[in-house]
Amino acid sequence: MPNSVCPTCVELTIPCVPEFVGVARLAILGVASRMKFSYDEVEDVRLAVGEACTTSVEWAQRNAKENSTITLRSEIDSKKLTVDIFDNAGARNTDSAGADAEQEPENLGALLITLLVDEVSVEATDGGTHVRMVKYAGQR
Amino acid sequence: MNFKMDMRTLDHGLPIIDLEGEVDVYTAPQLKQQVISVLESGAKELIVDLTKVDYLDSTALGVLIGGLKRMREADGNVTLVCPSPRIKRVFEITGLDKIFDIYNTQEDAQEAIGKENI
Repeated sequence: MPNSVCPTCVELTIPCVPEFVGVARLAILGVASRMKFSYDEVEDVRLAVGEACTTSVEWAQRNAKENSTITLRSEIDSKKLTVDIFDNAGARNTDSAGADAEQEPENLGALLITLLVDEVSVEATDGGTHVRMVKYAGQR
Repeated sequence: MNFKMDMRTLDHGLPIIDLEGEVDVYTAPQLKQQVISVLESGAKELIVDLTKVDYLDSTALGVLIGGLKRMREADGNVTLVCPSPRIKRVFEITGLDKIFDIYNTQEDAQEAIGKENI
């Protein structure tokens, strides 16, 4: 259904599995290229979105949510790019995950997102997680 | 998905993994298997060449860190070849450039390993 409310929004839903994370990265690369971002900033957004989707995939696997999806929604304006990533991959119950070596990539992913975008927020939703990241143009 | 991996061993027994394309949550498990097989072979040194890598995420970093930990436990090392500023930046912003030995060419990496082993 066309998005009549937001004329500068792009929305994409992908299966929450490893082989589709690259599709989300390609999509956001196209969107970010429309902003007045430097080459490095476009790459930052691509990596941050890839990391957010990867975390969703890892939680879907951990929670055995085989048919879950990731919805990526981006909105551009003259000053910033806002990317919302919604998944229905179940709750991120970190207590049960344990602090083993397998968790390290996830922690690194969270660190990378924090370093690559200007604002990030994570909130639990009914059945999943919503990550919002904002990257401002001309910050460097 | 654009990903290629080649494993080879130099004449003096030094294993090198050449990677190409995107190393991410989908492709990193293949790298992990390869690193494990190198570890199981008893090798003390490993070069991972990222020259042709154009995307590398935290999953790939996790595999490399895991390999480095196990190699160093056996008094060995994982040495990276990474001339690309874009890929190098991922190591720099995470501080991993201080943990890994990173060189611009395979020749430089081999020379450094050779010197360490003298």
